[in-house]
Amino acid sequence: MAEAATITHASAAGVSVGSRVGRILLLIGRLVLGGIFVYAAYSKVHFDGAWHLRDYQFFFAMGINSYNMLPLSVVQWMAAILPWLEFALGALVMLGIGLRWASLGLTALLVVFMVALARAAMLGLEINCGCFGYNSPKPSTELWHDSGFVVLAIAVTVGAFLVHRSRRAAA
Amino acid sequence: MNNGLKKFFAAGLVLSLAVLAFTATLGAQGKASPADLTTAKSLGSREAPITLEVFADYQCPQCRLFYETVTKQLIDNYVSTGKVYLVHRDFPLSMHTYSHQAAHWLNAAAAAGYYQPVEQALYDKQDTWAPTGQIEPILAGVLSPVEMKKVRLVESTEGSLLDAAVASDMALGNSKHVDGTPTIFVYHKGQTTQLPTGGVNYALLKQYLDYLLTH
Repeated sequence: MAEAATITHASAAGVSVGSRVGRILLLIGRLVLGGIFVYAAYSKVHFDGAWHLRDYQFFFAMGINSYNMLPLSVVQWMAAILPWLEFALGALVMLGIGLRWASLGLTALLVVFMVALARAAMLGLEINCGCFGYNSPKPSTELWHDSGFVVLAIAVTVGAFLVHRSRRAAA
Repeated sequence: MNNGLKKFFAAGLVLSLAVLAFTATLGAQGKASPADLTTAKSLGSREAPITLEVFADYQCPQCRLFYETVTKQLIDNYVSTGKVYLVHRDFPLSMHTYSHQAAHWLNAAAAAGYYQPVEQALYDKQDTWAPTGQIEPILAGVLSPVEMKKVRLVESTEGSLLDAAVASDMALGNSKHVDGTPTIFVYHKGQTTQLPTGGVNYALLKQYLDYLLTH
């Protein structure tokens, strides 16, 4: 009986430690992932040493248009909203608000970006990826960075869902 | 001193000043600089509210596309109306065998006063001269024999100046971290902004220029 109690206690302690480490890792992942997207948004509205809050969409539209894959009307629409979407989702993930859906949204965005980057790399387009302003690496280089970001985004998303499930189970 | 003598001295003074001014002008022309060639390779009014500086390579297909689809409309709608001052900068890329030679001849044509027709011919006929480097016949195709003679004279007597002009543009491009062509800088109200590489089409550029002109 005493042996059984010891095992239960050790197991419970293991789960507890694992959970705490998991939560710390999730916090770090959240801050890094969210920070990347907040910075990505910032770099699209602040470049060449100045804020471009009123004319950023012209530059970003040219950046998106360099991929040569979308009609002009869609390019302009994306150019207007994407930086703010990146900022909003990045901030939500950093703050842990609506974490599961915000991180899922970032994962989806990254997958879309990777498809565009892979296509540009396959076509050999000599363009700046535009991911972090207009001095960003070429698509083939940025593809590697984004691969890492996707792994991080998936990990944060899975972690967010697991934490949510464990909280519901505890409740 | 009588009136006749006064008039004689006054006329002599005016004549001397005129001769001095003429000599100074000739001297200045004789010492042309890369900056003078930059002016010769620019279109529009210096007083225009917006300046567009384009670093380009005449053998680069993207530069030709930009010229054919954007620059021509830009000249018609913004440069000729005094809204944009368009400055060409030579940035021949090492990957293109004859682009430096093309820039050299373009500068010769610009120095002789034929920048615009020669630039257009170099882009329009890029497929013809790019594989062989036969650039002179392209110029001869758009200039009269007399004009061509002037360009050849400039090329043979001012060769080092032409190369210095290209080198000067390239040095400027390198200082601005230009790493491909066409690279476009926009100057407006003391602010300099670089446009994203590869995505500039006329519709987007027009929207941006119209925005700048109203702000």
